[in-house]
Amino acid sequence: MAADLSADTPAIVFDHVSVTRSGLNILDQVNAAVPAGSCTVLIGPNGAGKTTLLLALLGEVGYRGRITLGGGKGLRIGYVPQKLMLDRGMPFTVAEFLCMGVQKRPLWLGLSRKAKEQALALLDEVHAAHLMKRRVGTLSGGEMQRVLLALALQQKPELLVLDEPSAGVDFEGGRLFCELLDDLRKSQGFTQIMVSHDLGMVAHHATCVICLKRRVIAQGTPRDVLTGDVLQTLFGMHMGLICAEDHLHAMPNAARKDGEHHHD
Amino acid sequence: MTDLSWLFSLASMFPLDGMDMRFMQRALVALVLLAPMTAALGVQVVHYRMAFFSDAVGHSAFAGVAVGLILGVDPHISMPLFGLAVGLVIMFMQRFSALPSDTVIGVVFSAVVAGGLAVVSRNNTVARDLQQFLYGDILTMTETDILWLLALFALFVLFQTFAFNRLLYAGTSNIIAKAHRVPVALCEYLFAALLGLVVMFSVWGVGVLLVTAMLTVPAASARNFARSAGGMFWWAMLVGTSSAVAGLSLSVQPWMGTATGATVILVACLWFLISVVAASIRNERQL
Repeated sequence: MAADLSADTPAIVFDHVSVTRSGLNILDQVNAAVPAGSCTVLIGPNGAGKTTLLLALLGEVGYRGRITLGGGKGLRIGYVPQKLMLDRGMPFTVAEFLCMGVQKRPLWLGLSRKAKEQALALLDEVHAAHLMKRRVGTLSGGEMQRVLLALALQQKPELLVLDEPSAGVDFEGGRLFCELLDDLRKSQGFTQIMVSHDLGMVAHHATCVICLKRRVIAQGTPRDVLTGDVLQTLFGMHMGLICAEDHLHAMPNAARKDGEHHHD
Repeated sequence: MTDLSWLFSLASMFPLDGMDMRFMQRALVALVLLAPMTAALGVQVVHYRMAFFSDAVGHSAFAGVAVGLILGVDPHISMPLFGLAVGLVIMFMQRFSALPSDTVIGVVFSAVVAGGLAVVSRNNTVARDLQQFLYGDILTMTETDILWLLALFALFVLFQTFAFNRLLYAGTSNIIAKAHRVPVALCEYLFAALLGLVVMFSVWGVGVLLVTAMLTVPAASARNFARSAGGMFWWAMLVGTSSAVAGLSLSVQPWMGTATGATVILVACLWFLISVVAASIRNERQL
């Protein structure tokens, strides 16, 4: 399923990507590379252009510069949005939601047994088989996120794009979701790029971090990138205070008195 | 011309006074073809929040006739074609303009209504037809109209077979659908074209004022009755078609003597009330 790329070929290369809207520079000469098979997280303050960069990647926003996927071969994309603007009262079952993209027969002629089995298998993969018969409009934030992930996995993605998957989900739910993504990425071999505000999650789960504030402030492994300096540049004074010492990593367990750095 | 006598003799078997008259047979056939189309497209109109879009296309009926007059084309042809063009123009502007979609529709809406009224105000012969456009008159459907409706119905069935799932995908989230390689633009343009044509024929039947009701009331009732998207499609068709037949039957009764289009919509609204009660009973049981 994974893209047939050598380990050195980045899954995505952003080459001088700029986005201007109403005369305002939203992204300014963004240069970054997303390693194949990585879990790359975009961090940055509100208005830094994180979501815009994802939308440019999806072709939803016009941009200058170049975005190369899979070394020019292109990649099959699965996309998980932050949330769905859905009419909650609409009669629309999770089973239908997961069959609409694969079943040739129109849904008004019923679901085929094969499509239903495939949908159930997908839900099982995201530990949500019990949601099969529920209405999409009645799902909680965390449940909806799993169903959206199942829909994206249906594409057998080579690149999974997620926009703030932990927004609207409690801490434990967010952690479980990230662990699920880690397992899926290892078993299916896709590259994952996501936006997140949760630095704890970034430190634990990301293999590559891109710090964005209209342009790229820093990129690399969380260990190299999540430093006091970078966070202060990104988020201002407030975040800088969290990291009392220079170059102390903003890892969950980084504030040890002895200054030891423990990473998973 | 294709022989439609078999269709009319079938319609004449409907147990209603006056069904031996050809205009009644034509009205019944036209309604039984139109109602399921508007009802099923209504499901997508509700899902896509396109009620205002269909309203704008309906109101362009006038301008369609006016264009026909200027170009010397039969209004039965110029009106649907104009509706089709307006639908496609709105869809195009929505896709390529930074303006919010209801603003785009509002601008086109104003332009076509003003254009239509400007021509009508210069030409008294059209002004006489004004009432027909406002209230519709299903009893004046010609056999050529029925033939067009049959062709449109065939297109409708094809579209709903091949595009229903994809349109549901795109309506759920345009961005996800595009990222997942659904041909969103093609589906949307085809939908706008079909909706434009169906709306124009509905204007003939129920009038500009009630055309949006033909689309939304059956779909809104179906939303309350159904438990799935597939079920909603069938419920909308049931509500739409039964309202059309019951509305026609009631409107020609001597003691009613009401306009057919309005009566059809009133029956559909009754269905909607029943659906609200049914939905609230179901919700109570689930609590």
